[in-house]
Amino acid sequence: MNFAFDEQQTSLGDTVARLLADHTALLAPDLSGDGALPAWDALAELGLFAMMVPEEHGGAGLGAIDLALSVEAMGAHLAPPAAVEALLVTDLLVRHGTAAQQHEYLPRIAAGELRVAVAMAEQGADDAPESAQASVSGGVLNGSKVLVAEGARADLFAVLVQSGTGPAIYLVAADAAGVSVRLHEDIDPTCALAAVTFDGVVLGPDALVGPASPGRAVDRLFDGGAALLSCLLTGIAGHMLATAVDYARTREQFGQAIGSFQSIKHRCADMAVAVDAARSATYYAVWALSEDAPDRARAVSMAKAYAGEVARTVCNEAIQVHGGMGFTWELGLHRFLRRAKVIEHTFGCSTWHNERVLAETLRMLEGGEASQQAAA
Amino acid sequence: MDFNYSPAESEFRTELRAWLADALPKGWGETVFEPKDEHERAMFRLDWERKLHNGGWSGINWPKEYGGRGATLIERGIFAEEMARAGAPEGINIIGHNLAGTTILAHGTEAQKMRFLPEIISSAEVWCQGFSEPGAGSDLAAVRTRAELKGDKFIVNGQKIWTSYAQYAQWCFALVRTDPDVAKHKGLSFLLIDMASPGITIRPLRQISGESEFNETFFDNVEVPVENIVGDLNGGWKIAMTTLAYERGPEDSLGRQVRFKQELDKLLVTLMHTMQGNRAAIDNPAIRQRLARAITELDIVRLNALRAFSRYLDGGDRGSDASMIKLYWSHAAQTMYEVAMDALGPIAPLSGNDPAAAALGRFQLSWLQSKAFTIYSGSSEIQRNIIGERVLGLPR
Repeated sequence: MNFAFDEQQTSLGDTVARLLADHTALLAPDLSGDGALPAWDALAELGLFAMMVPEEHGGAGLGAIDLALSVEAMGAHLAPPAAVEALLVTDLLVRHGTAAQQHEYLPRIAAGELRVAVAMAEQGADDAPESAQASVSGGVLNGSKVLVAEGARADLFAVLVQSGTGPAIYLVAADAAGVSVRLHEDIDPTCALAAVTFDGVVLGPDALVGPASPGRAVDRLFDGGAALLSCLLTGIAGHMLATAVDYARTREQFGQAIGSFQSIKHRCADMAVAVDAARSATYYAVWALSEDAPDRARAVSMAKAYAGEVARTVCNEAIQVHGGMGFTWELGLHRFLRRAKVIEHTFGCSTWHNERVLAETLRMLEGGEASQQAAA
Repeated sequence: MDFNYSPAESEFRTELRAWLADALPKGWGETVFEPKDEHERAMFRLDWERKLHNGGWSGINWPKEYGGRGATLIERGIFAEEMARAGAPEGINIIGHNLAGTTILAHGTEAQKMRFLPEIISSAEVWCQGFSEPGAGSDLAAVRTRAELKGDKFIVNGQKIWTSYAQYAQWCFALVRTDPDVAKHKGLSFLLIDMASPGITIRPLRQISGESEFNETFFDNVEVPVENIVGDLNGGWKIAMTTLAYERGPEDSLGRQVRFKQELDKLLVTLMHTMQGNRAAIDNPAIRQRLARAITELDIVRLNALRAFSRYLDGGDRGSDASMIKLYWSHAAQTMYEVAMDALGPIAPLSGNDPAAAALGRFQLSWLQSKAFTIYSGSSEIQRNIIGERVLGLPR
């Protein structure tokens, strides 16, 4: 057992971080839905979308854990969350896709030619995948999704629906008749969130993901989303911590750096401990996802709930440490605050995941499973 | 990164699990419990530590030449997990194992290692810690207990406080002032003191839990042979920092996590069987949120420790990261016991042997005990200073 990243994992994370650092537009204070496009193209060129695609489909065949530090870097540099969702869809198709789906989509997603978006949330539903109302019947999809990241630029949607046997994921081409997209007005336009309506969309013959067990495909997508979004949240928190500490070192009041005051120093220390704790939970969750460990659900819910709360706290604290400057538009801290809030509410909010942590813990306790050493 | 265990690690686990099943009293944790009386409980725990030693399960990752098992840090982690799974008793020679032994291993002479380590591993000798004084708490370097070198011995005079287990200890390691005329950090030495020496008086202190685990310890012309110094004369501060890195470090936190996890599991089971109005206590949605958070934080205590192990195995130094580990577990555990009291509802104040108390009143005692967590081995305020200055590089 080793709870450290290897050289390849670390170096990939560094590469992604360096690439994104060149795209300063990502951190610009102004809220543009197009600002992330050059970075998206650069990530595609780097081969990000091929990372989790098997070699026979033109990919690198890596697992989620190999990308944990890369996704954390994407959080820290405000890379578009839709890029992470594209990774998730490759993971979904590798694990649950039919041979035809893998053959048709994986090489094109890997090459950055096909843009895929995840359509899960609905107005009036709660955070549970089971609450989706969009439905498929007789090969026809009807329903409305909200908060679809990069929805207007997607070529393909992975849509959560209610089928006769429970929740399922269907793949729907964006240019199919009956698909319409409307951009949202929201707190973070840089995610390019959209409402997508499916009005009598006739599905192709091979649209269902994981026909043998559609529910497992849904769980995989949902848990994968929770785990990788935890990496984004941890990245945001880590970046906000570093920003606050830098400011506390250099900003002077009363003739000295404000970081010498315990009121500031102790806030920074608490943030550092929180970020480190979020990393522990997140890395374990991504490992459990990679390994499909028996405690996967519990691990990813812990991470998503915890990293969400830490990201929120650290964004708030970082703004406080910056004083009046922190509240200015031009400093751009609001970008992280906004982004963290959107991610908090994607793939289940902290409250929902906390409930799942407890339910899973009780289930394992009653079943006599040791919840903290599933790998043993 | 890989949480899968190697065949050797799994074998270690299997062997330990089998041994524990055999070694623990029949009905342990169900019908058979630790003695309620504080002294009897201490003796029971000491017996258990000696039993572990006889079975070859003491000094897990210490070198074999000093009586240890020579296992890896990862196996040390497995050991902690299996002790948790079995609900095994804790020990009273924690200070010997986690602090005295590790410090002697790091800085002691070969003679000191040969003399002291096997006796710690076997728990033939129990240790206590002589750091804090009435005038030197957070400002540890202000200790005033004097040790004057006269010929081949030190003459020690002064007072230590919060000396846990002094009443059971054969040995004490102490930070003492050997040069009063230099800057306070530079005149300190680290001595190993035989608690049977003439001139030592112990006075128990009663804690808010009602227990008397810790004491005041008085030194009145106590003679300590010069060979009982660890490190250099006036070089004690550096040695004490090693002790503190272990006191706050991942081995310590993992051992504690094991206990907290047992209590949290016990709490969850208790809440499933405790009715509050027309529902079980576990079904209160507000409490469920806080329980989930407590569960998560306790898991993170473990994961933080495992990450630290991996850092050390990769050649990283022990240092200020220990302050992050300690700050985290102490607040996580304290919060957990607050949640426990809230979750128990109207019967929360009932403790001890009251027939209406939940789970034999164990949570009330733990809740009281938990108030010490954020104070001892460096208060949270001191840990935050260390993290701010040494980890984050903020100015003093």
